[in-house]
Amino acid sequence: MVLAHGIGTRADLPVPSTLAALGAGLAVVISFVVLGTLWRRPRFTGGSAGRPLPTGLRRVFDSPVPRIGLRLVTLVAAGLLVVIGLVGPDSTALNLAPWAFYITFWVGLVPASLLLGPVWRVLNPLRLVHAVLARALRLDPATGRATLPEAVGYWPAAASIAGFAWFELVYPARAEPTDVAVFVIGYAVVHTGAALVFGNRWFERGDGFEVYSSLLGALAPLGRRDDGRLVLRNPFDSLEAIRPAPGLVGVVVVLVGSTAYDGLARTGWWQANVPTGAVNATLALGCAGLLIGVIYLLGTWSLVTPGGRGEGAPGPGAFAHTIVPIAAGYAIAHYFSLLVLDGQQVVILASDPLGTGADLLGTAGRVIDYTVIGTTTIALVQIGAIVAGHVVAAVSAHDRAVRLFPPGVALRTQYPLLAAMVTLSVGAVGLVFAA
Amino acid sequence: MHLAARRLVLFPLLVAALVGGCGTEPAPGAGAGAGRTSATPAATPTTPTAVPSAPAGRTVRLGYAGGEVTGGTQRVPVPLGERVTLVVTGDVVDEVHVHGYDSYLDVTPGADAMITFPADIPGVFEVEMHDSGLLLAQLEVS
Repeated sequence: MVLAHGIGTRADLPVPSTLAALGAGLAVVISFVVLGTLWRRPRFTGGSAGRPLPTGLRRVFDSPVPRIGLRLVTLVAAGLLVVIGLVGPDSTALNLAPWAFYITFWVGLVPASLLLGPVWRVLNPLRLVHAVLARALRLDPATGRATLPEAVGYWPAAASIAGFAWFELVYPARAEPTDVAVFVIGYAVVHTGAALVFGNRWFERGDGFEVYSSLLGALAPLGRRDDGRLVLRNPFDSLEAIRPAPGLVGVVVVLVGSTAYDGLARTGWWQANVPTGAVNATLALGCAGLLIGVIYLLGTWSLVTPGGRGEGAPGPGAFAHTIVPIAAGYAIAHYFSLLVLDGQQVVILASDPLGTGADLLGTAGRVIDYTVIGTTTIALVQIGAIVAGHVVAAVSAHDRAVRLFPPGVALRTQYPLLAAMVTLSVGAVGLVFAA
Repeated sequence: MHLAARRLVLFPLLVAALVGGCGTEPAPGAGAGAGRTSATPAATPTTPTAVPSAPAGRTVRLGYAGGEVTGGTQRVPVPLGERVTLVVTGDVVDEVHVHGYDSYLDVTPGADAMITFPADIPGVFEVEMHDSGLLLAQLEVS
């Protein structure tokens, strides 16, 4: 399987040109509208907002027992994935492990987090493994042996996601069941080890999957208020509540850059003109990330020029959270059809996980039903997701600008940032158009 | 709203309305890139309800030699519902796999290997060599 993202039977058709033009045009127009309807006072209250859930529900969600139970379930699932990857059928087409890993887990994390919040923080099996090991080794699970310096921030998570992206998009044997199993084991060892050293706070800052789920989870209607209560709230408030920290820019840049590389590598132009090979692909992935980083930094240029900056003045990190909706839009645009169509293969392969001829779920021998969703629907979802991500990003950026600066200065900071967002969104439209 | 701000908002909305209203479609090849083989534009915008059983269909010739794909990886546009015949020539024994359609074809040196199937699933599908991992072509069925 040589599809860029490692697994899958099919790639999307290019989005029709009228729809693509409409999407790109909307991105530009919306930016003007946001600029024009300049509200002068911040509208979103951030971390203190939200309506608490009913007490009964809150008790259930907050208590540790369901958490441990859920983590046990995902731990068993991960364990099964590794076992199936190692001893199941050799061929990718018949082995459940790569499909479950890339589609059910990695792509599935996106809608799960967008709808329900930072789900992986609750489900992360490594937290359970770490808790057990820490107690066995007489370490404090919360503090470990060393303190992670604040300046490290989210950089470990950025590196973690970059490492996964390289494995998913570049590594030649990325779809092989054994390699997937080894990656999962390696990932578990690295992050559990780091958490034993630095305490379970490592997962919030260093585990790429958990950070990804947490950032996407800010777009869900569920959130946790500053006082610790679980609330229903406007996603814009949750976005606003994301605290800038070192490395947050790195995380969003890696997320957008890796999806952009995936889309770019699938285009006809790329397939025809760019030589294959892991080294070339690694360089290209790195360049994609750099490009997105440069676009973002140019967009926040006005925050770093000497004139505007004083002591403790906000830097580019203050707007990193506004890229999260764009990253979500990119992810939906590129992976929606994969989840709906190739995701069926997971259910089909789960009937015979070890290649013994079993039919556990009654789905063995079935084939993917490609008619469940039409190409027009897919195209509409792709463009819709990109445009929606752009709207949310532009509104969120504007609100943060008026929160941080007086209205005149806020407007000035908006021009380059909206231009950067338009570049990213029009670029996304271009990628699904040129697919 | 301030007058200047109102103008700032209305002007691009007006432009967008004009563009949308005209409804002219930009050239289909725009942005597609050099990799595409020149395509016969699909005459019917809707899916035909019955797949024609006429022997006429589309023949796609692919080949590989010396570890490389002859002529480079092609992007082959195929109208939805048409019968596609793949003819593959190669210098080593290998197996061709058409993803999505899940068709397999064994290739032996010196003989043309052929397979015919109806292109009834829309999407972009890879035609790949199983052992060498070479990507022979991408079928764009729409």
